[in-house]
Amino acid sequence: MHIPDGFLDPIISLSLYVITLIVVIYSAKRYFSEDKGDISYLSVIAAAIFAAQMLNWPIPGGTSAHLVAGALAAMLIGPFGGCLAMFMNLVVQCLLMGDGGITALGANSFNMAIVDVFVGYAIYRLALKALGEQRRMIAAFLGGWIGIGLAATVCGLEIGLSTIWISSSNHSSSDG
Amino acid sequence: MSRKALILILVLVLVSPLFGVIGSEIVGYHEPLDVAAELIGLSESEPVWQGVLPDYTVPGLPDVIGYIIAGFVGVGILLLPAILRGKEFGERN
Repeated sequence: MHIPDGFLDPIISLSLYVITLIVVIYSAKRYFSEDKGDISYLSVIAAAIFAAQMLNWPIPGGTSAHLVAGALAAMLIGPFGGCLAMFMNLVVQCLLMGDGGITALGANSFNMAIVDVFVGYAIYRLALKALGEQRRMIAAFLGGWIGIGLAATVCGLEIGLSTIWISSSNHSSSDG
Repeated sequence: MSRKALILILVLVLVSPLFGVIGSEIVGYHEPLDVAAELIGLSESEPVWQGVLPDYTVPGLPDVIGYIIAGFVGVGILLLPAILRGKEFGERN
């Protein structure tokens, strides 16, 4: 789900960088002020997510699946802390391991640190309200499932729209 | 909480090559996003930045060892704020 370099239209890439930075800065303000954010706790959660994401479960046929944990992070330390933990994790994965292109870091963060985190958390809270505290696990499952499903859908849309624009710009340049 | 979390992180990194290296080789892993992108006519360009430990490897070392070292380096960097703060460990719960 980490988009590499070369897949995204530059406008999409740049727009998502800007949106992501705004949301991350806002999340930092909220986490450290209103949520009484704790940098140590944030740091441990980010490291645990990093380690958990290294466990790629092999799937016959040549693919694999691994935990993303955006919604889980939000359930543990709130959506603003979850956003920051996921963003820290993605920055390290990108800069240190080259996992996800540096030009796509904004998009990858938008998908996994914003969509997965905030949508997953919102679904979790709604489900918790509807189902009650006793069914917390079901609410958490719904939050995680829908959050990551939507994040993957947005990832697909970003790449799909990039294809449309890249191919249309290729057509116009060849026409000219 | 923090001590438990640190033990969990340690175990996850140590067992991770079973999944990320050995398991991947067994199933002939291909990044699904690359496969999907190829189907719609996109291809990955030369990376603008390859990373210091590209694809969780350490140049010159076996993949399993490199994967574990990359894991500890990544975890170490992410734990740096907590280490520098140096007071929460062992206090929670």
